Amino acid sequence: MTKLRGSSRRSLFLAATALVAGLGLGGISPAAAQDALKFGLALPLTGAQALYGQDQITAAEMAVADINKAGGVNGKKLEMIVLDTQADPQVGINAVNRLVRVEKVPVFVTGFSGVVKAVAPIANDNKVVELSVGANSPSVAQLGEYVYTTYPLADIDVTALAKYVHKDLGKKRAAILYINDETGTVAADVFRKTFTAAGGQVVAFEAYDPKATDFTGQILKVRVSNPEVVHIHGLVSDTPQVIAQMRQLGLNQTVTSYAAIYNPRLIQSLGKGAEGIIVTSLAPGPSDSPKVKDYVDRWQKEKNREPNGLPYTQYLYDAPYLIAQVFGSLVKKGTPITGESFRQEMLAIKTFDLPVTGKTEILPNHTVTKPVYLMEVKDGQWVRKAIVE
Amino acid sequence: MDFFYVIVIMVGIYVILATSFNFVIGYGGLISVAHPAFFALGAYASGILARDLGWPVLLTMPIGALFAFASSLLISLPSLRVSGDYLMIASIGFQLGLVEVIKHVSFTGGPGGLTAIPQFLVRDYGTVSYVIFTLVIAVAVVLVTRRIVNSDYGRAISALRDDELAFATLGKNAMWLKIWVIALASGLAGLAGAIYAHYFRFVAPEQFEVLQSAAMLTMVVVGGMRTIWGPVIGAILLQTLPQAITFINLPPSILGPLQGLLFTGVVLLFMFFRPAGLIPAPAIWQGGTSAPIDRKGKLDVRGA
Repeated sequence: MTKLRGSSRRSLFLAATALVAGLGLGGISPAAAQDALKFGLALPLTGAQALYGQDQITAAEMAVADINKAGGVNGKKLEMIVLDTQADPQVGINAVNRLVRVEKVPVFVTGFSGVVKAVAPIANDNKVVELSVGANSPSVAQLGEYVYTTYPLADIDVTALAKYVHKDLGKKRAAILYINDETGTVAADVFRKTFTAAGGQVVAFEAYDPKATDFTGQILKVRVSNPEVVHIHGLVSDTPQVIAQMRQLGLNQTVTSYAAIYNPRLIQSLGKGAEGIIVTSLAPGPSDSPKVKDYVDRWQKEKNREPNGLPYTQYLYDAPYLIAQVFGSLVKKGTPITGESFRQEMLAIKTFDLPVTGKTEILPNHTVTKPVYLMEVKDGQWVRKAIVE
Repeated sequence: MDFFYVIVIMVGIYVILATSFNFVIGYGGLISVAHPAFFALGAYASGILARDLGWPVLLTMPIGALFAFASSLLISLPSLRVSGDYLMIASIGFQLGLVEVIKHVSFTGGPGGLTAIPQFLVRDYGTVSYVIFTLVIAVAVVLVTRRIVNSDYGRAISALRDDELAFATLGKNAMWLKIWVIALASGLAGLAGAIYAHYFRFVAPEQFEVLQSAAMLTMVVVGGMRTIWGPVIGAILLQTLPQAITFINLPPSILGPLQGLLFTGVVLLFMFFRPAGLIPAPAIWQGGTSAPIDRKGKLDVRGA
């Protein structure tokens, strides 16, 4: 090894060390106002899910601004620390690691099932409450003592839907087409079990790949099985395509789906083909509640559009209200705010009346109860078909 | 302090990954994109054995590494006999196929991931013990790699990379050496996977997608391919930089695009200003104390 190489290597190493150290020091965030009540929010700002994540973050930001405008939490300011997860488990771990260990938040809100699961050990180990908003896999209820959800898990809406399809619509033969990821596999299974238990018959059970754009093979299998109703459990990005290809191949059966599909875009992209599609919604729509109407109008006014995945953003808008109520109750009692006291107080309050999603009951078994709204496309409009409690 | 422990553990894991990847792609000159697959194999094998069969983690970790080591034969045996581009095609197939298999079988937890993987060390001895454990292994991997590339073996590997035909005329078996290089690196990636699994206690198939190999390649290239310390510096830099950026406390509307541009930006800057990485490799192979050999006509990496 030559002299030159050795010294340049050493100086590089020193430079790198200095850089890392400098970033570390510079990184300590300026001490926030001592009396602000902090909580964390970890959602995708970038990456494939950013379209939804960004609107969800905007909704939560609106809520925090509204709470503070209305006087904050017992006179104290509510402060939300937002970090990007890219909906990626590892990036999510990094974000939550910082929220819990640097910002020392007693509670944080997160979403997207991969991240929700990956960060659960951090929440449990550090006794910090993780509020999952949006991930609907029933396994979310089993992630540990400190993981709760404000969003109803898939078994609630898919169970209600499967029962409704069998009992109220009188369909006996169902086909299930689902995306092969966490959301799809679990929900498809719930639909199958519920529908079969109710006395119906599942005649086709077909998965498609998350990256697929052609679904002909699966659809033809569904056609051969001759169902009366087809339940599609995919993402908002692929489901319209699945339905369009179904209609092209001559399947005109009733299609059911779930909350992610409840979206004006579906009708725009499918036109007449969208007629009669029934989906679940876990939040009241603008026609159900004046507050939701105000909320949607506000998006129209401020952003000139409806939020992507409206019901999800409603839950995100309500999450800071739930947290503020628990904080407020703890402050009033003079109990120090920790993850542990937050968890106990949240379970003690139990029933929350939230602005745009309505009554929410947080149960000790880590699930939540909510009424399920069934929406149907009629004459190019989403119309409420039924409410299942 | 706990915040930094997690980062140090991640750095340690990526030092192992980048170093072993550099061993294949830099020293061996073998183009493979399946490194994340072996990372996954180690993580899943060790996680499943410890969780479902209750085996001690100290035993499952080396098994995970051995499993990845052995599995590498699946791509290296058929493809290296034909050599060249076939390895890359086989590795893409293996990488994509393995992730699909993990998603479709139930004992891996399917697309939802493997949860509740048993912890190791942290419960009894605290996080620091795991940080030390990871760092000791990472340092050992780097030192062993340095030992190998500076040995007769290392000279054989570089001779093979530079001219396979000439290497074969010396009566050496090129195929077995290549298989050995890939197996060793895959075993190390598997070990990194096992270390990952028992600290974070959750693995999902989406963490081991083919794009991961782009992240590892970036570390190797930015740090300096075909050097010992390049991948180490690359791993440190690319693990800490994205985290450091979040501390500037920018509003989400700026932070989002900035993070998106970071990786691309770093790579572009390096391509322009330091194509050979932070630590450029010597233009030609210098083994041990031997004098530099002037090999005219060979591509000078520094100038490329």
